[in-house]
Amino acid sequence: MKKKINGILVLPLLVLAGCSSEAALTNAGGSTVPENNVVSAVAPTPSAPVQSASVSSSGAALPAPSVKVVSPEVAAPAQSKVAAPPAQAPVSLSALPTTPAAAPAPITPALAPVAPAASSASPSLISQSGYGFDQWQKGPLGDVFFDFDSSVLGDNAKEQLIQNVGWLLATKSSDSVLVEGHCDSRGTSEYNLALGERRSTSVKEYLVRLGVPASRLEAVSFGEERPFAEGKSEEAMAKNRRAHFILQK
Amino acid sequence: MRCFRDLVLALITVCCFLFFPLHLVAAPEGEFIIISKKGADNIALVLDKLEIQGDDGSKIAHNLGVIIHDGLDFTSLFTLKEPPLHVKGKSGIDFRELGLTAAEVYAGGTVTLQAGAVTLSMKVYEIASSKLLFSKTYGGNEAQFRTLGHAFCADLVERLTGRRSAFGSKIVFVSTTTGFKEIYQCDFDGQGVEQLTHSRTISLTPALSPDGKYLAYTDYSTGRPALYIRNLHDGTTATAGKSGISIDPAWRNNSELATTLSFEGDQEIYLFKSNGALYRRVTKSSGIDLSPTFSPDGNKMAFVSERNGRPQIFIQDLLSGEVKRLTFNGEYNTQPSWSPAGDKIAYTTCENNGEFNIFAIGSDGSGLRQLTLNSGKNESPSWSPDGELIVFTSSREGGKKLYTMSSTGKNQRRLLLMKGEQMQPSWSLFRK
Repeated sequence: MKKKINGILVLPLLVLAGCSSEAALTNAGGSTVPENNVVSAVAPTPSAPVQSASVSSSGAALPAPSVKVVSPEVAAPAQSKVAAPPAQAPVSLSALPTTPAAAPAPITPALAPVAPAASSASPSLISQSGYGFDQWQKGPLGDVFFDFDSSVLGDNAKEQLIQNVGWLLATKSSDSVLVEGHCDSRGTSEYNLALGERRSTSVKEYLVRLGVPASRLEAVSFGEERPFAEGKSEEAMAKNRRAHFILQK
Repeated sequence: MRCFRDLVLALITVCCFLFFPLHLVAAPEGEFIIISKKGADNIALVLDKLEIQGDDGSKIAHNLGVIIHDGLDFTSLFTLKEPPLHVKGKSGIDFRELGLTAAEVYAGGTVTLQAGAVTLSMKVYEIASSKLLFSKTYGGNEAQFRTLGHAFCADLVERLTGRRSAFGSKIVFVSTTTGFKEIYQCDFDGQGVEQLTHSRTISLTPALSPDGKYLAYTDYSTGRPALYIRNLHDGTTATAGKSGISIDPAWRNNSELATTLSFEGDQEIYLFKSNGALYRRVTKSSGIDLSPTFSPDGNKMAFVSERNGRPQIFIQDLLSGEVKRLTFNGEYNTQPSWSPAGDKIAYTTCENNGEFNIFAIGSDGSGLRQLTLNSGKNESPSWSPDGELIVFTSSREGGKKLYTMSSTGKNQRRLLLMKGEQMQPSWSLFRK
């Protein structure tokens, strides 16, 4: 239920970001991650501006047809915020996925009142715990996880990437970001090198769609060469199927 | 009486053919006679103790005897038999005595040591016909006894099978001995290990050009996996100089190699010259295209592609561009290796139970055969120059180590003892 709600919250943003509805609803990464790893909400973060931010920051590059996929009730509030000041965009972008999904009903209302607070939100308020964070990734950019032999971004992964974009745009840092693609050891090493690149590339392309300049992003594959978790357990394997972020000065 | 004797002789002859159907067929070639092994079984060979002539050559004779014995045993082509007690009489070799061993071929010779110079004179006979198949003399110094012994082994195998042998060839591989993945090489039998890269990063998927002049490999020295082509003669190194990544090079001939690059967005296989110059793109399909391996004439390329969703092995005709899918068994087939003999392709399958095993299949898709079973993760097959052996990686004893086996999966044994893990072996066609 929690995932579903998050998915609904993110849907307008994803669609506007140029994703097909099929891709947006795919839950590849989510199934490998324990439920309690789902992103936890940060205080009462400004959600509404988030949407507006996403629209303003990435809308220009989005293909028109994708907008048609948006269901009217969800798309309406998002589009109504398009005119929001660009400065608020990053903050709201990052805040969206962290919105607690405790109650399905108040999704839309909850978004609205946040707008005023958006301008005061700072990147440090963005959640750096939950899904994308563990002993190998303490932030500020959370990692994303994949199914076996897949480079498809699941709902959780997309939410994490939206949060990462929020941080990147909010800090206005000129740091570049290295996106490393990693695999578990179950495949063969050459194939995993290729698969790792597809993972890092799919993450890079998604970030670009959300407004991060491609020039700030570098994708590289480590295949199964640099595993994070030791051992052959399914849990360890799942930890190693990831795209890992490194900020580079 | 005469008729009766003829009848008995005829019966014996017929019985010989009935009970020893795997006889040798002789065919003239050059100054020697080539014997082609018929059937799948080994050649029964009596390897006699080397005679010593001249100075005290007992030690070198013993060493040479061991090298020849172990070398022939390594090939998995022979069943080695001890010689009968009185095989050599005053009148020469007693072939009747040899015939009782049921062996097909006899090999023996002499070692002469004079002032540090070693001379090995070998003679090989077909036992049934008492016919001299070939005799050859090898010369060198004491330190070269391995080379001398293996030179004879190479000649013997080539004359009995008509094919190039593994003797003199090299195996390049990756080892974690230093804590980093570096590239090493060793002789075909695991001896003479030598470290080739000192990148102190990650070096992967080495491949020697057929003439042994170039080593191609993937290396992370720049922070991303890139193609390096090192001239082993002068030490110079060329790179592909393309953005994106490079994965798993393979040689088409002495001057051309192929690898996967992603600089155009998708992962496709490209042909290069040995100086790193891009020659042409070979594949064009959405998704991963990977791990090229070439037919002996270089006209066909087997490779991994996930164009149908999961990784499978395909064969592309480089002249016509036609592509055919080769593997249909299993959903994860990678690491193809085309036998230098031309007839088979070995590859790695992830089976439905999660086991990784090596299979071989005819290049026409026939004769699928499983070569490993219930022995850890088995992967990265690579054929010996004669197509008789396969070197591969296995975790059957814990960490990844290198093993060899026959082309049918027999005689699986450890190649070398070395610290750390060893993987991604590639057997060259190179002969010294």
